[in-house]
Amino acid sequence: MADQSKREKEKENLSKSISAPQAFLIHLISGLGLAISLWVAHNFYSINLVSHPSITLRLIWIVESAIVILIYSRFRIDPQQCSYLKAVVRGILALPVGALVNALGAIALGAPVGIQYLPKTINWSLLMSSFTVAPAASVFGSSWTYWQRIFAQTKPNEPLEYMICIPAHGAVIGGWFGAWPMPLDWERPWQEWPICVTYGAMTGYLVGMLASSGFVLANGRRQRLKED
Amino acid sequence: MKLSIIITVIISAVILQIIGLSLFIFGFFPVKPALSGVSGPESFYFDDGGGSDSVANHTRASMPPHLLKSLYQELSGIHPSFERLILMVIDGLPAEFVLGKDGQPPREDFREAMPYTQALLSNGMATGYHAKAAPPTVTMPRLKAMVSGAIGGFLDVAFNFNTQAMLDDNLLDQFFRIGWKMVMLGDETWLKLFPGLFTRHDGVSSFYVGQLCVFPDQYSLIFVCLFHPFCIPRLSHTQTLRAGAWGIFSCEGFLVQLSSSIQVPFSIQVKDTVQVDQNVSRHLENELNRDDWNLLILHYLGLDHVGHIGGRNSILMAPKLKEMDEVVKMIHLSTIQTRDNDQGKTLLVVVSDHGMTENGNHGGSSYEETDSLALFVGLKNDLSDYAASSCNSIYQVDIAPSLALLFGVPIPKNNVGVLISEAFDLLTDDKQLRVLELNSWQLLRLIQAQLPGLSCRNLPSHDGFTDGLASTTVECSGSMEKMLCCLYMNAINLHRSWKSKSLSRSKSRDDYSCTVAAYHQFLKTASEWLSRRVTDKPVGLLAFGIVAMAISSLTLLGLMICMSTEDQPGENQRLCNSITGLHKWSVNEIFLLSVMLILVMSMASSSMVEEEQYIWHFVLSTSHVLFLRKAVQPLAPGSAKSFFKLMKGQTERLDFRISSIILLLISGRILRSWHQGGVNWTYLPDISKWLEQAGVNHVRSIQLASGLLVISLSIFALFLFGSRRKITQLVGFCFLICGFLVLWHLYHNNAFVSASCDAAIQAQIIYAILGIATIGFFVALPWFIPLWFPGTCSKPNVKSTLVTFDGQCIFSLVEFRDSSYLIGLAYIICWCLLQLLLQQPINSMPILLLLVQILSSMLYFSCSGLQHIEVEVALLYYMGMAGHFALGNSNTLATIDVAGAFIGLSSHSMFLSGILMFIITYASPMLFLLSMLMYISVKCTSYLANHQNVDSGHLAKMILGFPCLVPVGLNSILLTSYTVVLLLMRNHLFVWSVFSPKYLYVCATTVCIYVGVFVVAATEIYTCWVLALRRKKQISIR
Repeated sequence: MADQSKREKEKENLSKSISAPQAFLIHLISGLGLAISLWVAHNFYSINLVSHPSITLRLIWIVESAIVILIYSRFRIDPQQCSYLKAVVRGILALPVGALVNALGAIALGAPVGIQYLPKTINWSLLMSSFTVAPAASVFGSSWTYWQRIFAQTKPNEPLEYMICIPAHGAVIGGWFGAWPMPLDWERPWQEWPICVTYGAMTGYLVGMLASSGFVLANGRRQRLKED
Repeated sequence: MKLSIIITVIISAVILQIIGLSLFIFGFFPVKPALSGVSGPESFYFDDGGGSDSVANHTRASMPPHLLKSLYQELSGIHPSFERLILMVIDGLPAEFVLGKDGQPPREDFREAMPYTQALLSNGMATGYHAKAAPPTVTMPRLKAMVSGAIGGFLDVAFNFNTQAMLDDNLLDQFFRIGWKMVMLGDETWLKLFPGLFTRHDGVSSFYVGQLCVFPDQYSLIFVCLFHPFCIPRLSHTQTLRAGAWGIFSCEGFLVQLSSSIQVPFSIQVKDTVQVDQNVSRHLENELNRDDWNLLILHYLGLDHVGHIGGRNSILMAPKLKEMDEVVKMIHLSTIQTRDNDQGKTLLVVVSDHGMTENGNHGGSSYEETDSLALFVGLKNDLSDYAASSCNSIYQVDIAPSLALLFGVPIPKNNVGVLISEAFDLLTDDKQLRVLELNSWQLLRLIQAQLPGLSCRNLPSHDGFTDGLASTTVECSGSMEKMLCCLYMNAINLHRSWKSKSLSRSKSRDDYSCTVAAYHQFLKTASEWLSRRVTDKPVGLLAFGIVAMAISSLTLLGLMICMSTEDQPGENQRLCNSITGLHKWSVNEIFLLSVMLILVMSMASSSMVEEEQYIWHFVLSTSHVLFLRKAVQPLAPGSAKSFFKLMKGQTERLDFRISSIILLLISGRILRSWHQGGVNWTYLPDISKWLEQAGVNHVRSIQLASGLLVISLSIFALFLFGSRRKITQLVGFCFLICGFLVLWHLYHNNAFVSASCDAAIQAQIIYAILGIATIGFFVALPWFIPLWFPGTCSKPNVKSTLVTFDGQCIFSLVEFRDSSYLIGLAYIICWCLLQLLLQQPINSMPILLLLVQILSSMLYFSCSGLQHIEVEVALLYYMGMAGHFALGNSNTLATIDVAGAFIGLSSHSMFLSGILMFIITYASPMLFLLSMLMYISVKCTSYLANHQNVDSGHLAKMILGFPCLVPVGLNSILLTSYTVVLLLMRNHLFVWSVFSPKYLYVCATTVCIYVGVFVVAATEIYTCWVLALRRKKQISIR
């Protein structure tokens, strides 16, 4: 009983802690991070995903994971037990673990295995990890209930959960769709692993962030209506 | 819904589908209605219907060649204008290169490259034609068309991947009959088509194994896949190759096939452009100096190779044309010399079999590809005035009747061509009319063969035969048959009147040209009608076929939806209508159904058809991942930590599910990378190539290891069922015997020497044992499964597991489950062992992996409850299809393992090797269909665990209905949609190279599904029947 009431309180805290503009801002920063890293890669190092997939991916995931972990750690669900620093550390720790899961998933779905693909796969999966696992780890830590609800059942309840769940799913689904042109005989350089998958994942991530902003907005309005 | 209704609906839908499919195939791939036999002297008489055929055949057969030759001459009344023929075939030369296009002269560089030929053309010594070739523009069918004048259908090409001798009536046979001596230099295809006809020959292969070709302007070695004449070409990597990349392209599958039959690890074929033609020309001078031949065939492949490597604008093109020009020059000069001798005149005919596109590809029906050349050198010897007759357009089939008439042999029976009138300009008027008459008779005979009722004598116009022109020519109209008949009668009547006038010496030039025009009108109409009969598609038939298939698949789909919404098990099943049913569907179900949509959409793209294996593997592994996600969902619910220990049993079961899914994922990934497959990326590394490079010994040890593992897996699966029962031990013993027999055979006969007689007998013994074992299990097991009686078991729920029908107890579900499991396992294991024997050694590991997939999916399904049976069955079907591609199959006919189809056959039997080929190709779909029996048994276990009352109708619908209905239903959707796609794509460039072979595969898959589902249904029904019978007996004894 006591446990339940405590969780209820936590929920309230959370719903208060993130408002719609805040959520929008977070998404904006993450999206900007993505854009800036691509811009930097293009203008400062004059590389892009097609010409230097590995290096570009590394740049993107470093920028993106730093932004995501730093921001989402502020909204950890257990601020009493867990300091900001600890949240950041667990986000950083989760990054390679999530990358491993993502890489295994990609290989299971048919990503090529081989020495020449190894750096690309590693960098790609780190990027995917910063889209999916890292923010969740910063926020939820190792609480299995949340992980299961968000990733296995896809039943987010609160704004923060929406904000983690929908972009992550968007990235995965976008990556899945991005893999479709790969076997076609168009002979374009971007059909190589993991370029079009990355494009798909980034697009999906952006779309997911838009959708989650919408959800958060709708959620907030519904809550206000309920309160009224 | 009642079970009987369901069964009736399924059966009627399947029958409707078969009818629709056969109508469509009949309409889309018209089988050429060929006249059998060979034209003989009777072709110089006209008999309407022909009663004296046998007599004529008899006399001809017994006649020595020179007598036959003089008989032909006497009958036709024409002295052949030429004695010797040189047929020079330049593979892939577009007529545009020599004659230009639309009245324009050819390109400057090409004209300069062929000075001698151009000179011949401009001074009238040579007559050139654009000879329109019929698709498919591939060498062998084109050669056939040139020598027989007949157009073959697509199936002709498809079923000829083993070239066989040409059996239809053709020019070369006719020449052989009149005692000609023939010499062939060039492409081996001629030797395959006409074995034993040539007195001398020097065949060059279209490809060289292991030779390298250094491109003069590039540093890279260019490896080009051979261009096999029977393999429909599909080149798409010309650009990359031109850029200097490494690649092996086109006819992709043939490489795989080659490596399977010769057992060399991926031999690389290099197509050279120089050596092939030097090998032809090296004997040419010698042959030209000899006078012991009448027909000399030269087949130059180099130009086609140049096209494949560099396209029309290749820098090698002009030198190659120059080389060809040199050959023409050499031949022409030598024939001019020999004209003075008494060898008779020599005619040089330069033809090409097909053209090429800008990139050098061919096979389709575009103008560039069908624009082939026919060049007659030596028809007119006077350096005459008219020069501009070189832009005439004829059909490629016209070459055959022209040559036949020029050389005084009967026109081949199935010819649809019309003689080229300019070739006969030197003949007198009556002779010219005579050749037209002969050609008309031949075409009329062919028309009569196609329209059996046609008899032109019934027409009234014939009765009023007078010598007045006005009364003999009739305005022709009406149906096609009447029209043809009328045109024919017009020509014949005019000819007769001309003849009678010429007797009375009152012939006029007008009469003559009228007659010629009438003949040409008939010939043209008849020829067009006949070739349309071959290439045209009857729209009504196609539409009816498609509608029938669509109705059938909609019926099956509707039934599937109906059953899945109606039969949700549970207490509140009546409450849930279709809408709530939809709400209950989870991501997995929606995904598995959308797979169908994805597949149907992807089929419209030729690249996706070529790379279909990617779709299956991707979709299958995605659905596995989704199943994994589903398995994780209920794991350790948050509040359950306190009573974790209570739930431990449940959790273990979940771990079990997760591990079986992970096993599925891993084996699926290995299967995927076993064969690269497809068309465009075949050169990418894969496990099979790697193993074959590692050496034959590795492959063999892997083969033996997978054989052993298959046997041990089978024993393991058997003992999951229960080890202590006698029947299990018996079955296990049988498995062991069969398995070790196969292993012993594999050990003693490596594929190198499998041609030996012993090996064939061993293989036959194994076939027999496997067959007997399978049928034995099927027949005997239901009789020997121990019956369960309520009294014999202490379990409380056994009583209720009796299957009841109308309140009457029929048999126990337990025994049904047991026998179904054992029979299913026996089928699977026997099939796997058979495949180990038949498949290439490299494929033994995938067979094992497929078995692992089946067993682990059974483990997964055993704990997944009774929800969504249809989705699980669909998953099994998808796994079967993915496995089909994992075994190295693709959507080109070239990947069919022809070598394996002769294992254990002591004599050449098309039927038996066809069956073996089918078994090899459809190993995986059939395996998964057979696994439905095990699936049914597994679901029975779930049923036993969950349900108190067993209602036989419900059970049958749930457990027996879906495993049969779902594969048939899904396949019918694919079949119907693909039929529509094929119809829409009928004018697509790749219709013969990509879409039609794929359609043959789809049809064969349909057959496979029917067979598999029939086996499953028959086994289940038989088992039910036997068990019911036995129980009745037992009860009556008690």
